[in-house]
Amino acid sequence: MNRLLAPVLGFLLLAGLGYAIYTSMNGQRALKAQTTITGLIGSEKEAFFADPRVQQALLKQDLIVKVEKAGSRQIATAFDLKKYDFAFPAGQPAADKILQGVGKRPTYVPFFTPMVIASWQPIAKILEANGVVREKDGVYYWFDLDRYFAWTQQETRWKDLKNSEAYPVNKSVLIRTTDVRKSNSAAMYLALMSYIANGQRVVASREEMDGVIPKLLPLFLRQGYTEYSSEGPLENYLSMGMGSSPLVMIYESQFIHEALKTPSGIRPDMALLYPEPGLFTRHVLVGLSENGARLGQVLSDDPELQKLATEHGFRTTDTAAFKAQAESRKLAVPAQLVQIIDPPSYETLEGMIQAIEQQMK
Amino acid sequence: MNSTTTPKSKFNLFNLIVVVIIALIAWSWFGGKSNAPQPDGQNDSRALRVLAGSELKDIEPLLPQLEKDTGVRLKLVYTGTLDGAEQLAQGADYPLAWFSHAKYLELLEGARNRVVAREKIALSPVILGVNQSRAKALGWDKTAPSWSDLAARAAKGEFKFAMTNPTSSNSGFSALIALIAALSSDPENFTLTAPQQQTVQDFFKGQRLTAGSSGWLSEAFVREQASLDGLINYESVLLQLNQSGQLKEPLTLIYPREGVVTADYPLLLLDAKKRADYDKVVAWLKTPAIQQRLMKDTDRRPILPSIPLEARFGSQTLIELPFPGQRSVVDRILTSYLDEQRIPAHAYFVIDLSGSMQGERITALRQALLNLMGGDTSLSGQFSSFREREELSFLPFRNIVEPAVDFTIGSGAGKEASLAPARQFAQDLTPGGGTAIYSALAEAYHKIYVAQQQQPNRYYSVVLMTDGVNNNGMDFDDFRAFFAQLPADTRKIKTFPILFGDADTQAMQQIADMTGGKVFDGNKNLSTAFKAIRGYQ
Repeated sequence: MNRLLAPVLGFLLLAGLGYAIYTSMNGQRALKAQTTITGLIGSEKEAFFADPRVQQALLKQDLIVKVEKAGSRQIATAFDLKKYDFAFPAGQPAADKILQGVGKRPTYVPFFTPMVIASWQPIAKILEANGVVREKDGVYYWFDLDRYFAWTQQETRWKDLKNSEAYPVNKSVLIRTTDVRKSNSAAMYLALMSYIANGQRVVASREEMDGVIPKLLPLFLRQGYTEYSSEGPLENYLSMGMGSSPLVMIYESQFIHEALKTPSGIRPDMALLYPEPGLFTRHVLVGLSENGARLGQVLSDDPELQKLATEHGFRTTDTAAFKAQAESRKLAVPAQLVQIIDPPSYETLEGMIQAIEQQMK
Repeated sequence: MNSTTTPKSKFNLFNLIVVVIIALIAWSWFGGKSNAPQPDGQNDSRALRVLAGSELKDIEPLLPQLEKDTGVRLKLVYTGTLDGAEQLAQGADYPLAWFSHAKYLELLEGARNRVVAREKIALSPVILGVNQSRAKALGWDKTAPSWSDLAARAAKGEFKFAMTNPTSSNSGFSALIALIAALSSDPENFTLTAPQQQTVQDFFKGQRLTAGSSGWLSEAFVREQASLDGLINYESVLLQLNQSGQLKEPLTLIYPREGVVTADYPLLLLDAKKRADYDKVVAWLKTPAIQQRLMKDTDRRPILPSIPLEARFGSQTLIELPFPGQRSVVDRILTSYLDEQRIPAHAYFVIDLSGSMQGERITALRQALLNLMGGDTSLSGQFSSFREREELSFLPFRNIVEPAVDFTIGSGAGKEASLAPARQFAQDLTPGGGTAIYSALAEAYHKIYVAQQQQPNRYYSVVLMTDGVNNNGMDFDDFRAFFAQLPADTRKIKTFPILFGDADTQAMQQIADMTGGKVFDGNKNLSTAFKAIRGYQ
């Protein structure tokens, strides 16, 4: 019996050991194949990366993504980028600034979104009566930046406007933004307004810059205290209401994302105004490591992730999907924007921000 | 064959068990290495220290639940908003900070750079609570007054209110910013024309009670509600006062027409290494259930827009007034408040020069006084220094009360010249003799009574600094009898005793209770105690 048992037992023991080693190695191999990467993102993409569906789709591509949020313009200056696999700021200029610091790296633009003004029905009515806003196709409002700019130069106040009974407030008519020194959405506002101040031309020279800066200063200085990242002003808009935030410059994606939530903070008296001309914010992923770059690739190419981006309110190359979603969820957003301008070059925008920063101290 | 199969299968079963056990052991041994939880400093039970505004004390009952749900224990260390900002600017070591707002902090260069992340947790506007009958009489229950309506009533003596000192407490600070923004014809620049400046002065004519903290202000209001018409505080504090059962009549909440400044309670991350814990705490605080509980238990408005406001918050549109974006503007507003707008103060310093004050004690006293005369150049030091238009009376005592020495702080260029003799006086203080506390205190109140006849529109207060026990002159009963026959207006003047050396804690508390004041401990740092009292003067 023992003679029979010994080899069998010995064999089985070896087999068991082998099996154990095999499964263990296998487990380790599977773990190894899943790469954990860490990146810095603008706060407007936090909800996207926190979405379990997004995490699941990334896991299918063997990626576990950890994110830290920061003001898009701070990413380039306030962080040690060597510690991260990717940077994902909002806006081409912020990405360019990062690239200047880290050298040539692959970049991807998986999605983009236009700059919009979050407002309120009573405010839109007042602005309409004063010729700054008009309704089109019964849904959305176009916001005339040229006329608005003239008001900012005259320090026009809400109570001075025609038919302002619904908002008889002694505050300047001013679009609220984030801190222009820290965050992209305010820089995009600066890009738009510098185009207007420069007589409907993108600012391209030192002379033009010197010409527009004095006119642009009040747009920022008169706001007083400003928030660091694009989430702040939106949060004020949603939770403090019209009295705090009659006009707020945000990304369209932020509004759509909130509107698609259940429960949602979007109420019927809120209104989205589309500035004319408009400007797109490109969300640029800078691959700092090889795996970081792979994330950029995956976000741009994976159909599921592109679909999820649409559900988070971003626009992708698939305009049909965006339109279909807007229609099915009854969102008052235009499928296509016609009059779109480009932001000035990184150097010009940076120069203007620095000139404003000088005055903010 | 058949005879062997049965035992063999038995062995197989046995072997299978063995194999499974070995496999399990081997798997846990090999595989376990990569899977075992790493010992993680973030998961241990050491509490995270949070430098917090004292108005956040009512959050404390929620903390055990936070620890249960997230494993993160917070330990709140309380301070005033401005003090806290200064501490952080000077590098105080806290991983987290939590104030009713962080706007001023973010304007201070040294503090701003330390903030790694910030998340607003709840909202509460700084507004007025006015006794129901008074609100009705003034028609404010029907139509909300403007800030200039308030100023007009205050100037006529028809609206007497309590408000904290804007340089030491955030509720007073927010109210001052709102007032200036509301009255200015250029609210984004916070500039005032001469008539507007007059309106601000009119407003502060109604301020009959000040304090260094919002909490103490409400307590003092409860004690003095009969002689006050209302107070300025957070909406949350006023709602809690109404539920406290301590008021003779409820407060009507007044939201001034031009608007208010709202506290947004940001939780700040200062130490990037604590990010994981910070994220957990923020996520927990922003869950709908906890936001609901914050609204129910602490009367603050939720930051989550999806949570509907309960009825007691009212439904009116709250206009949020601009807040300065530059430190220089804030400093200008605070300086103007202290030097031009507030009721000028008259502070009486009753100081012990008995023999026991010799040595280190007299040095500390001289330094504390010199610090208030411009010797302390820190931010809080500047704001707590003696102000333009202020009158000072020093009553040194030993076994007898020495003649009072008076100084008036000059304005503008005259300020330095007026401080020179005061500094000399402080330098020359020399101890020796006994301790006649109550006689000295009685002398101070007598002088206040006389001064009130000539200048009823000053804010009077007494600081009593002693390092020993009364052994000359009046005793407590004599003083109580003397105090009782003073006119009501004089009895309202508060004494702020400072405990120093061998001072009698109980006797000092008696004096504070009788006069409505508050005891400060000067043993750790006498200068700090003097500085803190400035918020109450």
